[in-house]
Amino acid sequence: MAILVLDMLTTSLILFVVAAGLMIILGVMKLINFAHGAFLTVGGYTAMLTTDAGVSPWLSGPLALIFGFFGGLLIERFIVRPLYDRPLDAILATWGLGIVIGQLITLGFGREVQFAASPLEGTLTLGAIDYSAYRLAVSGIALAIGAGLTALLYLTRFGLNARAVIMNETLARGLGIDSARVRAFTFGLGAGLACAAGALITPLLSVDPNMGLPWLVNSFMLVLVSGVSIPSLLLASLLLGSAQVLVSTFVSPILGGMTIVVLAAAILRINPRGLSFG
Amino acid sequence: MTRVPLLSAEGLVSGYGGAMVLHGVSFSLAEGEILAILGKNGMGKSTLLKTIMGFVAAREGAISFAGQDSTGRSPHLMARDGIAYAPQEFTIFQDLTVEENLRLGAPSDTVFNARVDRLENVFPRMLERLKQRAGTLSGGEQKMLLMSRALLAEPKVMLIDEISEGLQPTMIARMAEALSTARETFGCAILIVEQHLAFALKVADRYAVLKLGEIVEEGAAGDPSAASALAEHLKV
Repeated sequence: MAILVLDMLTTSLILFVVAAGLMIILGVMKLINFAHGAFLTVGGYTAMLTTDAGVSPWLSGPLALIFGFFGGLLIERFIVRPLYDRPLDAILATWGLGIVIGQLITLGFGREVQFAASPLEGTLTLGAIDYSAYRLAVSGIALAIGAGLTALLYLTRFGLNARAVIMNETLARGLGIDSARVRAFTFGLGAGLACAAGALITPLLSVDPNMGLPWLVNSFMLVLVSGVSIPSLLLASLLLGSAQVLVSTFVSPILGGMTIVVLAAAILRINPRGLSFG
Repeated sequence: MTRVPLLSAEGLVSGYGGAMVLHGVSFSLAEGEILAILGKNGMGKSTLLKTIMGFVAAREGAISFAGQDSTGRSPHLMARDGIAYAPQEFTIFQDLTVEENLRLGAPSDTVFNARVDRLENVFPRMLERLKQRAGTLSGGEQKMLLMSRALLAEPKVMLIDEISEGLQPTMIARMAEALSTARETFGCAILIVEQHLAFALKVADRYAVLKLGEIVEEGAAGDPSAASALAEHLKV
């Protein structure tokens, strides 16, 4: 029972950190970034390359974050920004970008499944049970990322500017806020978070060119349900992530994979605001 | 003595899509001066302010600010240059607190901390409501917040779009005082667009009437015959 609870908690927190990058891009830029899954995949391969190069696996997350951030800045500048006035085209462009990234990864690394070393092997004893030390570490990192994002949004000038842009971009520009810079930084941050999330989850799973796709779908549904709110995203991740674990454990892993999508659709059908609060 | 124009427009033409709203508007605003642009609904008053700020592109003509050509400059750069814009609608961030709204008016948090106490003389109520969500303020208080935010920027020019609309007479009087204080304290010039004739003539030095996108009459606000002449233009 205790292991099941820990599975529910750690899965939820992993989902939260994967969806966070998608949420801030949607909030600030009003853009559904369909390349989010591909960024996550890039993070996974960054983790693999980091450990293959003999660098400490602990550095794979920060390296993926930095790589994703600067890559995101370039993508925003040359692909997304020219399409600001054509939001549908911008969404399609991120979808196409995701396909291109996936194909480039296939060209470079092949289709086969590969693995990255875990920075933390073994289990941790919690009372009467032993539990994966790395899953617990990832959960702690996810909470730290959530706290860091909250602090960034609510305790800094950038966060205030970003929230102003989210609420009323025209008014924000009239107050001297360079919304283009806010958008660029946000896209970089979202891409960086996606890559970091990919690097973090890779030691728990494996890497392949399509590893990001199921995470993209689940993240998208979580963000739809939670709106642009970090506490709401955390709540949605806890509820729907836990449900996924329960269905996978007691019913069927295949149905478990569909749980978040089905529950999110049902929640939105009942309440169009979903689980959004704050 | 002729005062040096701080903000001016020459032959400004602008509009939305294929429909032009302004047809060659020219005006000048000197340092520390208050100019009221008067006109009925749909005459192009708000479009004029949006064009100056860069929200609406000028199709023809030129805008000059502080001696520089500002035509086509981005809104955020106009704001940083020293123009504070108080729009008529969607004026505050409803879900942010009063303090957060005010912080956005100042160029940095350090500047905000240094200037916020000055509101004590103009809108002390804002200092009592700093932690309140802006959307829960009354209509009059939201206008106070709008003005307070603009004042914290210490702008060289304020563009104010129908600040008197929907306000009670006592609140309109407060706004007139606030504008005078802004001019005296910061020396800023103010361009107001208004339909409220008495308010506009009370605060302004000069007026101009905008009719179907053109300036059709100009004069000194202190001229005793101004009110009766303008009433004809503003008659519905």
